[in-house]
Amino acid sequence: MKHRTITIDPVTRVEGRGKITIWLDGRGDVKDAHFSVFDLRMFEKFLEGRPVEEAPQIVTRICGICPVSHHLASAKACDMLFDVEPAETGSLIRELMHMGQYIHNHSLHFFFLAGPDFLVKGREQGLLALIREKPELAEKAIQLRKVGQEIVEKTGGRAIHPVTALPGGVTKKMSKKEVDEIAADLSSVEKDLRELVNACKEGLLDKKELMLELDSQRSYYSALLNNGDFDLYNGKIRIIKPDGQIAEEFNPNNYQTQIGEHVEPWTYLKFPFYKKAEWPDGAYRVGPLARLNVAERIPTPEANREFTEFKDEFGKPVHNTLLYNWARLIELYYALERAKEIVEHEKTAANDVRHSFKIKKGEGIGVIEAPRGTLIHHYVANDEGIIERANLIAATTQNNMHINQSVRDVAKRRIKSGRIDERVLNDIEVVVRAYDPCLSCSTHMSGQTNLEVEILNEHGEHLKALTN
Amino acid sequence: MKLRIAVEGLGACAGCEIAILDLHEELVSLLQDLEIDYAPILIDRKSLKENVDVLLLSGSVRNEHDAEEAVRLSEKAKITIALGSCASFGGIPGLANLYATRELLERVYLTTESTDNKEKILPSEEVPPIEKIIKPLKDWVKITYDLPGCPPQPKLIKEMFQMLLNGKPVTLSKKTVCDECDLKREEKKITRILRWGEGELESGRCLLEQGYFCAGPATRAGCEAKCLAVLMPCRGCMGPPENVTDQGAKMVSAIASVAAIDEKSGVDPEQLATMFKDVVGSLYRFTLPSSIISRRVSEGKKR
Repeated sequence: MKHRTITIDPVTRVEGRGKITIWLDGRGDVKDAHFSVFDLRMFEKFLEGRPVEEAPQIVTRICGICPVSHHLASAKACDMLFDVEPAETGSLIRELMHMGQYIHNHSLHFFFLAGPDFLVKGREQGLLALIREKPELAEKAIQLRKVGQEIVEKTGGRAIHPVTALPGGVTKKMSKKEVDEIAADLSSVEKDLRELVNACKEGLLDKKELMLELDSQRSYYSALLNNGDFDLYNGKIRIIKPDGQIAEEFNPNNYQTQIGEHVEPWTYLKFPFYKKAEWPDGAYRVGPLARLNVAERIPTPEANREFTEFKDEFGKPVHNTLLYNWARLIELYYALERAKEIVEHEKTAANDVRHSFKIKKGEGIGVIEAPRGTLIHHYVANDEGIIERANLIAATTQNNMHINQSVRDVAKRRIKSGRIDERVLNDIEVVVRAYDPCLSCSTHMSGQTNLEVEILNEHGEHLKALTN
Repeated sequence: MKLRIAVEGLGACAGCEIAILDLHEELVSLLQDLEIDYAPILIDRKSLKENVDVLLLSGSVRNEHDAEEAVRLSEKAKITIALGSCASFGGIPGLANLYATRELLERVYLTTESTDNKEKILPSEEVPPIEKIIKPLKDWVKITYDLPGCPPQPKLIKEMFQMLLNGKPVTLSKKTVCDECDLKREEKKITRILRWGEGELESGRCLLEQGYFCAGPATRAGCEAKCLAVLMPCRGCMGPPENVTDQGAKMVSAIASVAAIDEKSGVDPEQLATMFKDVVGSLYRFTLPSSIISRRVSEGKKR
């Protein structure tokens, strides 16, 4: 047995483009593995020279799945830069848009992309298999996601790449009629949500052994938190240690003192880390699992009940990567409940949607919990309000180190002494999908990701290809 | 017989693919007539082996891998559709053409505020090399039809599928966004150009006539003027209207026609031009790579 290389290209049912390479040593055991991301578009550079109030309109194009996150983080950075407090109703409308996005994103991820691994036989056909094998479930999932996208359209003007957020609030007030329609839509899917989540939990529990065994990473976790409460829109960043102890809690505006980004030559995706713990030990995870590990309580009743059940079942902090999927379902409850609270709020249909601002020199940092984790936008503008420097740290980037680690660990489990367990492809993809990686976002760059394994000898010559 | 399709995003944001999914239950009905042979974001097939009727190609070619993929896939398709404005015109990522590759990479990997890269590593191993400039997909492969929009509205995607299923050519609206916009025009002349969000927004009235830059007159209809309906001026994502190559040039003439130039109390055109910040990023936000001057051509001072 010579040194061999295994390549998985492309990884399917995730968003973005990249490949996985696994190197075997002379004994045929896994020596190393890389998840290399191909995408790059370099928004940080071409934002320079643009009027900063236009940034919320430009950065949406970083990601077509979670454009709302970029739109709002950008608007928040503009608020700070122009020193304008967003209008109360404007903030409510922004947060409602955000909840709409969560309903869409988390439904998309579970029912359309990752869920088929747990819910159907013909899982490689993804959503198409769900439609064929479980049409009623598919119909409900499609309706749930539709409600999410319609909320984004009503609040943001368009479901994909919304446009209403600007410094100081949003452009347009919501009519009572629009708010009532959203309330009715939310009520119409409430029962379905429970049914859908229960079906998903069953699907996951059927594979409980795999879920608990396949991959576990004792990592740091980081998320926004509002006085200890789970929050997706506002708060401080808390980082916890692998044992659950608080390592740091800081105002997001100080992110630069706490977070650094490491660069490797083999991927376009950078590697953020918690500076005090240094690279690579300080690499942390973000996203649904991290948010639940960091939070003490979820401030809406159903989600909090699910959260308590989750903690009773799996402990805290939870390190099993596949439980990202479960955590996402709990967040779906929160998104629906929080959206409901907002539409019931007396100020949501009020006129006070926007405060005026003056163009000036400044620096602004906007932070939000995107579906995949904490998202940071940071702009510096000159006297004319033109962007001189822009820095972006997207959610998936912060999981980069551990996605790599997970791939390596699963490969080690399934490839021994040159014997490649056929499950390796499947298992690697299942673990990567649990992170719901968005490679467009993470490299502010481009995307789509599929998985294919190629085995090469020590001279880089093709020996065998594995595809599913 | 079902129409066999392949869906692939190159350097892109996946918004075009989500726009297809945003047909929601209508997509389920459409699937009775469509066979999805390849769509990495949705199904696990790792490569496209057999030929398909239609390839929906979104995004732009940012690296060599994208270029190879575009060629390889389009060779297997009878009809290739450039889905979305990145594919049709270069899109927002095309603004990177304002900078040299070296400048782009140095900013992202060496100098951003949070980067910690003392060894000054630029990614170059195991990753496909970058293409120096973004070009519209038609410069890489034969494109049968463009379906612009950022992303194309689901309604347009549905109409596209219907035209394809009926064996008809894919056609687009010949109108402009102004034709679809409900805001009222009063033939008023402007004496200044306001920054977006400056001052009070008057609802119900044409935003261009209020002094805000709006690309509506130079942009193809089809989006139902959704941005204008929520009081956000058009940024031109549908690209230029029928028979117009250069969207920015068309926009300049539209601004000239509403500007109070040469009138008694009017403004000096030079002065008006200085009020207009970021000419390239406004006039060519989605179409720089397909415009007459598609990139920065010298190291000179950029506007």
